[in-house]
Amino acid sequence: MTEVRLDGATVSVPVDGSPDRRTRRILGPVDLVLTQRRVTVIGANGSGKSTLLRLLNGLVSPTAGAVTVDGLDTVRDGTRVRRHVAFAFTDPISQLVMPTGREDVELSLRRVHRSRSDRRAAAEQVLERFGLTHLADQSVYDLSGGERQLMALAVVLATDPDLLVLDEPTTLLDRRNTLRLRALLEALPQTVVLATHDLDLAAASERTLVVDEGRIVFDGDPAAAVERYVRLVDEP
Amino acid sequence: MPLGAKLAGVLAVGILPWVAASVWPLALVTAALAGVVVAARLPARRLLRSMRGLLPVLVVLLAFQWWSHDLAYAVRVVVGIVNAFVAAGILTATTPVTDLLDGVVRAARPLRRVVDPEVVALTLGVVVRSVPWVAGSFSSVRESARARGLDRDPRAVVVPTVVHVVAFARSTGEALAARGLTDPGDDAPGPGRSGSARPG
Repeated sequence: MTEVRLDGATVSVPVDGSPDRRTRRILGPVDLVLTQRRVTVIGANGSGKSTLLRLLNGLVSPTAGAVTVDGLDTVRDGTRVRRHVAFAFTDPISQLVMPTGREDVELSLRRVHRSRSDRRAAAEQVLERFGLTHLADQSVYDLSGGERQLMALAVVLATDPDLLVLDEPTTLLDRRNTLRLRALLEALPQTVVLATHDLDLAAASERTLVVDEGRIVFDGDPAAAVERYVRLVDEP
Repeated sequence: MPLGAKLAGVLAVGILPWVAASVWPLALVTAALAGVVVAARLPARRLLRSMRGLLPVLVVLLAFQWWSHDLAYAVRVVVGIVNAFVAAGILTATTPVTDLLDGVVRAARPLRRVVDPEVVALTLGVVVRSVPWVAGSFSSVRESARARGLDRDPRAVVVPTVVHVVAFARSTGEALAARGLTDPGDDAPGPGRSGSARPG
């Protein structure tokens, strides 16, 4: 079981054009311990969800406090953390950096398998596991939105991370692909933390955090969290 | 054909204009490259289309070299550039990017005390992947400008394209960092880096 711990984690950014180097707090301080297998984060656009998720694999460093994953500090042990924590972005095309899916999966495996033949065999297995072999040699630009999202997931899961973090993975998908993705995420053995605007997806998790203006305003039962969030956004 | 031979071929094609005394050896190489494109059934039409973008540069270069040297020299330079462009196109069309990366890692290994060979290879891979993206972005920006009746204003095309490219570079960098691909590997020089990015 993966344990994510945030101790007073705060993120501040410089205020543009400020002569006295003033900063603005965009998240925190957040104190959390996540041990559940399925955790969702909901909140309005710009509320701090993405920043919270980016803290979990060291993409964003806390300006105060600390974030650890299984005892590894995301700043001090960033390299080791990223080997255990995979991150999937909203737009899969920004994630796929090679011309084809097969080449991208192989890229993920470069640090794991030094031998080319081992890497090819491992990539083939990953593509088979996700049912993507038939799309593996197509240009990533020729894939549909749903296919791209699946390919991006295969790419980040190729190295068998312990924790998968997803930033609004269903935002660009139609309903059919959303349901496919949900089924895939449910079947994953990994711990999953994801931000979403899909309230059904949030309600199906074990624990839900509601973020508003950089603070966790609710943490607990998903159904109650969704209710709280709806009340929050419906308030004038 | 092994990657080393292909790279040596591209290098030879690139060097030829500097050593050839007349345009004929270069014309022979042009014919040979055209033969390779046909024999390997490569998308010749796409290659020609991508060369169309190079045409204004070649015309300007031809005029400049003619003015500063002579016509024979100018033709040699231009044919040499076209050959190098086609040779590079053949290389990328017949070699999977991962094989290119392996080749670059092998070639950069003697420099591993200075630079991580994997990072050099990754940089090359990202450049190869970025070319069609930048071309696509330019084309869609031009369409948008045309729809607004601004297709004659270069600022309406250049500025948004630059903004798109910067945003693309930023998101690509973030994606690579998130996957730990920019973290130091076993061959990396010096002490470990934190690898953390600034807040977004």
